[in-house]
Amino acid sequence: MTKGVKLLIGAVIVIFAAAVVFAIIGSKPSDSTWVDIVQNNKVIYHLDLSEEKDRTFKIDYPDGGWNEVQIKDGHISIIDADCPDHTCIKTGELRSESIPIVCLPHKLVIRFSDEGAGE
Amino acid sequence: MIKKMFALSTVLSGILLISGCSQKKEASDINMTSQTRDVFAMDTFMNMKAYGQNADIALSEAEKRILQLEEELSVTNESSDIWKVDHSDGKSVEVSDDTAIIINKAIEMGDRTGGALDITLYPVLKEWGFTTGDHKVPDEQTLKRLLENVDYSKVNIDGDTVSLPEDVEIDLGALAKGYTGDEIMKSMADNGISSAIVSLGGNVQALGTKPDGSNWKVAVRDPFAPDTDMCIIEIADKAVITSGNYERYFTADDGSVYWHILAPADGYPADNGLVSVTVIGDCGLDCDALSTALFVAGYDGARKLLKSDPSFDLILVSDDHRIYYTEGIADCFTNISSMEAEVISLD
Repeated sequence: MTKGVKLLIGAVIVIFAAAVVFAIIGSKPSDSTWVDIVQNNKVIYHLDLSEEKDRTFKIDYPDGGWNEVQIKDGHISIIDADCPDHTCIKTGELRSESIPIVCLPHKLVIRFSDEGAGE
Repeated sequence: MIKKMFALSTVLSGILLISGCSQKKEASDINMTSQTRDVFAMDTFMNMKAYGQNADIALSEAEKRILQLEEELSVTNESSDIWKVDHSDGKSVEVSDDTAIIINKAIEMGDRTGGALDITLYPVLKEWGFTTGDHKVPDEQTLKRLLENVDYSKVNIDGDTVSLPEDVEIDLGALAKGYTGDEIMKSMADNGISSAIVSLGGNVQALGTKPDGSNWKVAVRDPFAPDTDMCIIEIADKAVITSGNYERYFTADDGSVYWHILAPADGYPADNGLVSVTVIGDCGLDCDALSTALFVAGYDGARKLLKSDPSFDLILVSDDHRIYYTEGIADCFTNISSMEAEVISLD
C-alpha cells in the first residue's frame, strides 16, 4: 500500500467521521423533548421534558372545566379531566409530532414545540 | 504528492459541501418564519401553519373562512343550510354556493362509486348514536324503516336550490373537512402565502412545498395503534385524507365493535376488508369523499375506481394487517410499521 493510498483512505475516514458528527449535531435530538401546552392559541407552558421533575398539575379552563397533566420519566400526558369524552386521556403519552394531545371542549393542546404536522 | 493534494482537496471540498448545506437552511429560516393557529371547529381540532411575512393575517382570514363554513354546513346549528334543508318538509331551500358545490360533489361521487357514498344516511347514523356519542345497536325493524329513505338520488339540486322528500335528511360530514381544506388553501394563496400546511382532525393539506423547497412529510396513523404513525409520505400541493374505523367506534355489550362509517346498502358499519383508506390528491373535497366511499367499497372497489381514474393515490390497510399503496407514491412512501406493504397492481 503506497503512502498516497493510505492518505486517501484516511481522507475518506475523516470525511465519514465529519459527516457522522454533523448528522448527530444536525439532527438536534433535544428538539423532541420540548413541548408546548397551549390553551386557545396561548402558550401557557413551554417545557423541556428532559429537565422537568416528575409531577402533576391542574390546568383550569376559563369558561369552566379542568385537565390534570402528568409529567413522568420525561413523558407528558393528561391523566384526568372533567370533560365528557376523555379523548385527551385516551390519547395517552405524547409520542408523535403529528398527533398532539387535544381536549376539544377545553381548547387545550399539548404538542412538541419545535415543528408541527408538516415536519 | 499529487495523491496527497488530491486527498486534502477531497477533505476540504467535503467540509465545504457540509457547511454549504447548513448555511442555505439557516438563510431560509431567517427569511421565512412560520406562524401557527389552532381552530376548534366542526367538532374537531384544526391546526394551521403558514410561512412568510403575511402569515398572521392569512391565518386569521383562513380561520374566518372555517367558521363561516361551519355556520353553513353544521347539521345541528339551526341557522345552517343543512339544518334548513333537513327541516324543510319537502319545500325548496336556498343554500350558499359552498353547500351547493359540496352536495353536487356528493351526488357525483355517489354515482361514481355505485352508491358507496350516500349523504342521506344521516338518520341511520343518528340511530346508531354516532352523532351524539350515545351509542346503541339499532334493532332490525328500525334500521329497515330508516333505510327506506336512504337514497342520495332523491336529493334535488338546481343551482343553489335544494329540495328533499319529507323523510330524507342529509349530512355533509364525509365531505365538509375536505372542502374546508381546499378553501383554506385558496384563502392562504389569496393572502400571498406560498407555503402552508393544515391538519383538520388528522386530514392534512399542503400549499406548495416547505420554504426551503423540500416536500412536506405527512404521517398516516396506524389503524391498529392509532396513537402511532404507520407511514410517512412526502407531498407538495396535495391533500392527504384518511377514513379509518378507529376514528369513532364503540364496543357493544356483546363485545362486538361498531364503527361510524356505515354501508348505505344495509346500514351497518362497512366491513369490506379495509380498516383504513387514505386518499392523496390535488383536491381535498374529492379526496375526502373518496376516502369514505372507498372504505365502504373495499379493495376491489378501490381498484376498479383507480382503473377508471388514476388521478389520485391511495394507501389502504386491510383487516389482515397489510398495507397496499399505489405506484404513483412509491418514491415518496416510507413504511415505518411492522406491517408488510405492497404496491396495488392494476393489471
